[in-house]
Amino acid sequence: MRNYIAVVFDDTTKAYEGLHALWQLDNEEAITVHGTTVVHRNDWGEFQVDSKDTHPALATAVGVGIGALLGALAGPAGAAIGAASGGAVGAVADLNRADTRDQSRYETAWVLRAGQSAVIADVSEETTFPIDERMRILGGTVNRRAWSAVRDDKWFDDRSLYPYDGYLSPYDYYLYPYEYVPPYSPWWA
Amino acid sequence: MPDTEIKDAIDQVRSATQQLHKAISDAAAKRGGAVTADLQAVPQMAKAAVDSIRGSMAAQNEAARKRLAEAVTYLEATGKHAADGVRSSGKEFQTAVRQTIADARAAAQKVSEAVAATRTEGSTQSARK
Repeated sequence: MRNYIAVVFDDTTKAYEGLHALWQLDNEEAITVHGTTVVHRNDWGEFQVDSKDTHPALATAVGVGIGALLGALAGPAGAAIGAASGGAVGAVADLNRADTRDQSRYETAWVLRAGQSAVIADVSEETTFPIDERMRILGGTVNRRAWSAVRDDKWFDDRSLYPYDGYLSPYDYYLYPYEYVPPYSPWWA
Repeated sequence: MPDTEIKDAIDQVRSATQQLHKAISDAAAKRGGAVTADLQAVPQMAKAAVDSIRGSMAAQNEAARKRLAEAVTYLEATGKHAADGVRSSGKEFQTAVRQTIADARAAAQKVSEAVAATRTEGSTQSARK
């Protein structure tokens, strides 16, 4: 089965360990990784996505697109997950589900809290165990949603969310097809 | 072709498409936009990847072959857009760079989907044994 996953870590260094672990699992052929990136949220709630910044428009579009992906990852179960983790925002977001960009902002508020980092990935996996177990050991929490369900979301076709006129979804441009770690990131500190 | 050779062949193809995307996106990032010299090597890299795919395609399962055929289309587009970029300047050049990156990314995606198809078949066969 093919899934999008968001593995949330409280610690940035652990997030990069999680990123590396995913590609290790790919190397072991336990899963196949199609693309990955790491998203950070600072103490003020702003998103930062690891990127090579190949296009000026990406700076804005990346944040919106990844926000939408994180929101899409939450899916209809958002309220339940939000309530279970004590986050009122998740419940509000689900009740107000309207397939707008604002929605992603609200939904991601509980998927990725201020100060946390998340590994975002598009993966093919036979079972969820390899990823769940490896991430559990690293202290990560795995959020998972079927690739097909995310693709069915209305905002998936919102071409304004990404800068390229091309063939892939917005998300595919933000997910590197190999392990990419920025040479320097303020998030390392 | 033995299973290990099929696996090695598709892994090499995957590595080639990953490297192609990496080379183009690294170049674009370092220079604030790829320069002509960076694009000149791309058509040859894309062609090498296409040749590699064509050499290994027959041994793959049907699902993998379909993905690899799509990857060939994107790789050919990668080479074409890079060649267009070499001959252009200004806004047209930037558009060609963006398209080249997008095509290379799409090719890498299709190849990794082919890898997944190959692994799925492998695990199914292992389960049957």
